[in-house]
Amino acid sequence: MKAQIKEKTAAPEVDFSTAREMARYLTEPEAMYVGAPGKHGYLRLGFELDKDGKSILRDLDRRHPLIVQQELYFDEEMPEMPCVYILSSGGPNVDGDRYQQDITVKRDAFAHVATGAATKLAEMRFNYSGLIQNIVLEDNAYLEFIPEPIIPCRHTRFISDTRLCVAESATVVYSEIFMGGRKYYGEGELFEYDILSVCSHGERPDGAQLFREKFVIDPQLEHPRSLGIMGKFDVFANVIVMTPSDKADEIYENTQAFIDKREMLAAGITKLPANSGLLYKVLGKEPGPVKKMVREFASNVRQTVKGKPIPPEFPWR
Amino acid sequence: MSDNSGIAKIMRLLQFTDSTFPVGTFSFSNGLETASFEGIVTNASTLEEFARSQARQAAFSDGIVALLTHRAFLQGDYDTCKECDKYLMMFKMNAEARLMITRMGKKLAELGEKLFDDPIVKQWLDDIKAEKTPGTYPVAQGMIFAKAGIGEKELFCSHQYGIVNMVLSAALRCVRVSHYDTQLILEKMSNEVESLYEETANMKLQDMNAFYPELDILASLHEKGNMRMFMN
Repeated sequence: MKAQIKEKTAAPEVDFSTAREMARYLTEPEAMYVGAPGKHGYLRLGFELDKDGKSILRDLDRRHPLIVQQELYFDEEMPEMPCVYILSSGGPNVDGDRYQQDITVKRDAFAHVATGAATKLAEMRFNYSGLIQNIVLEDNAYLEFIPEPIIPCRHTRFISDTRLCVAESATVVYSEIFMGGRKYYGEGELFEYDILSVCSHGERPDGAQLFREKFVIDPQLEHPRSLGIMGKFDVFANVIVMTPSDKADEIYENTQAFIDKREMLAAGITKLPANSGLLYKVLGKEPGPVKKMVREFASNVRQTVKGKPIPPEFPWR
Repeated sequence: MSDNSGIAKIMRLLQFTDSTFPVGTFSFSNGLETASFEGIVTNASTLEEFARSQARQAAFSDGIVALLTHRAFLQGDYDTCKECDKYLMMFKMNAEARLMITRMGKKLAELGEKLFDDPIVKQWLDDIKAEKTPGTYPVAQGMIFAKAGIGEKELFCSHQYGIVNMVLSAALRCVRVSHYDTQLILEKMSNEVESLYEETANMKLQDMNAFYPELDILASLHEKGNMRMFMN
């Protein structure tokens, strides 16, 4: 048996009530209460090498609406790579939803994690939707976390906190793509959400803190259309790569920074604090070209670290 | 430091805010050079938007840190000053921005040690030299202003003026604008500093935030490119 379902853990509490930017959004929803069954998703994925040296999904625990069935080995360039799609049976994240995802990749193991479809953040009237992620990589582990875009609808409120605890010899590619909103819905609803608060922070297994990036986007306070924020762009991707510094230097050299006004596509790269890796950002008008840039960049990382590229995306994705 | 009267404090505020104060502000353009080259900042209105984004970005990171350091210094709490220093470096995602704030920070720490005889400032400079703390400019500002008897609102004004003036001075050299344009922008933005102070005054280190992807990409282009009229 490859993936063993271990004992169920109680779904941990996901509470952002101390975040000052969410203070306005703490009313109990009139529909299902905060954390009601089906509104409190939990996922625990543990990848490790089995006794034959094969990277497998050894540990799996989940609470609906989050679903992971089993790892598949469909990567043509790395057929030894376990690939997992995270699905949500609930459709969009709704008012008062809470999620936690814990992903561990043990020593020398490797994995590719994505989502089956875009994550929609529905309109919210009372509360907010929150997500905590703990991503832990042991020595020489390798993880690609490349989910589909997040689409914030009008009046949505979303907060996330992602902890990346990564050994010095390990590599993680952690990407997020944010759409401005449902661009072609009705008259279009770009940047009509109430708030997006997104924090990602990196640390070493000994607890040494490396970097902390936090966005709080509140269109009422400062409109994302401003020059310097999104400008004329609609889609934003953020990719954190934690990797040993020699690998980071090589990837940095092989990555272009550019602004293409005709194609409305721009990308930039810089080095993270404490020599802990790289930060890559992409701006575009439509999700397709941005997703392609993120995938090409991730492929550059895989080529540098694993000596193999990421195959082209499936045509139906 | 002998005279702590109102006039002497204002003199010090002017001294520390002056663009010729020798901490090196004139060598930085905060990405304006690239924004101009890429045709993103081309005139007074785009320059104003660019300057405003820079000012707000700075307020919610450097500004918060400067205020928190100022308060900690007045309590004689050196550990919190160091915590502010470390936290700000962790939060500065852009490599050139880290270079800028540490270069200017060390220069201001060195000046502060000469201008005022203070054990915390001295300890901090020693720790910077021993690479025990990064030595960022907003932390230096918080300490030196507190030591000089200047209040935190004035500190915040000086910090905001420094950022906006850095961008506008650079603009005279790389954007098609006149000094009338830049002074009008400065006048307009000065009216916005009070509300910016109110937004940031109650924030803690973990509240620091920044969402300026277009500025980040411009900074990256500069970092990778060959343009070097300014250091960033």
